[in-house]
Amino acid sequence: MIEFRSKEILSSMFIFGTSVTLIFALAFQVNQSIMQQFAPGLFWVVIFFTSVLGLNRLFIRERDANALWTWVGGPVDRGDAYVAKVIVSILLILISVLLFLIPFFIFLNLSTNFSWVHFSSILILGIGGLSTIGCVISGLTLQAGLRDVLIPILFFPSASPVIIATTKSTELIFRQKPVSEWQFWVLILLTFFVIFGLFGYLIFNRVVEE
Amino acid sequence: MDLVVSNLTKTFYKKPVFSNLNVSVSSGECLGILGPNGSGKTTLLKMISGLMAIDTGYVQIGNENVIPENIQSRNQVYYLGHEMGFYPGLTGLENGSFILKLYGQTIDHLSESFKKIGLESAKHQRVQFYSQGMKQRLKLILASLISPSVLLLDEPHSGLDKEGRDQLQSLLSRWKEDGITRIIVSHDESWLKSNSDRQMHMEAN
Repeated sequence: MIEFRSKEILSSMFIFGTSVTLIFALAFQVNQSIMQQFAPGLFWVVIFFTSVLGLNRLFIRERDANALWTWVGGPVDRGDAYVAKVIVSILLILISVLLFLIPFFIFLNLSTNFSWVHFSSILILGIGGLSTIGCVISGLTLQAGLRDVLIPILFFPSASPVIIATTKSTELIFRQKPVSEWQFWVLILLTFFVIFGLFGYLIFNRVVEE
Repeated sequence: MDLVVSNLTKTFYKKPVFSNLNVSVSSGECLGILGPNGSGKTTLLKMISGLMAIDTGYVQIGNENVIPENIQSRNQVYYLGHEMGFYPGLTGLENGSFILKLYGQTIDHLSESFKKIGLESAKHQRVQFYSQGMKQRLKLILASLISPSVLLLDEPHSGLDKEGRDQLQSLLSRWKEDGITRIIVSHDESWLKSNSDRQMHMEAN
């Protein structure tokens, strides 16, 4: 509610995502077939960095105003609070991606001749995976002094399976390959999402304790 | 509701704040806690409220052990402390509704409580524009509406003006009549003596 009032996180994520897309478009002056091969990797790199911006800010309002202790002390399952944070994170990243998706395809001169349903499913699964692990890390570093530095240091290596799986599957979707060729990567994404989702839900009780 | 703190130990970076602390408060009783800065008064309240991890020992409220997984224990207790903040981007009324809903309480009387405590004109104002005293009054409104079995008051009169202190005083009388178990932390010894049944001194380690 506060975010949709101020649009603080959303606007910074959108501006960052579009700026990086522009930089990529200016840096890679290559023909469309080569760009089509690079594009999945570039696309997920933009999402990856954009999501770090969002994760950095995810608990900041609660922490700065001490509002965190109000709900941590309340009679609520803190695991539910984790689920709520994951949902908010997925929504924020998804909205910012939807905003820079059109500039991404226009600036990089990419073909849109592929299954958007398949692409959307990978997009949601990938963002879901990034959010589940991201929210755990964001919660873990809540009381750390070097929080802004710690989040990328912990997030980049732990979320690398998501980036590999999403990039590979997006590349195969862009090349219009059948589902059987990239379903392995979907399974990896699903496994990651379920395992880290459960892990976060179960440990969040202890993560937010002072 | 009875409150038992048994053999409680808390250590920060290998430095003990207190060791093997035992406190017992009977149902409806008011315990006043005095002590210098760093003696662990706030730490104790946070551990009772479930905000802070317990190193060793246990805290029991009624029959419920205070552990992170036990939601029921947090339902019995409300911590009114200076570290309990509000969402600055939300109005006083929105913050109040959010917290009352967390505790499963109705918000029917929230609006009139703002009037009673002198915050009527500020209820639609964002909390970021509230003064320390106004925030403290909002906490008092919530404590009175949640009406928990155990109330933990950490420096409850800090930031309050004369009118606010009077309102706090009437609330303290009401909580006493309602038989709510209370622990009050304050540096004002004479005020604490007149507002609590017995006092406990904590020493800095």
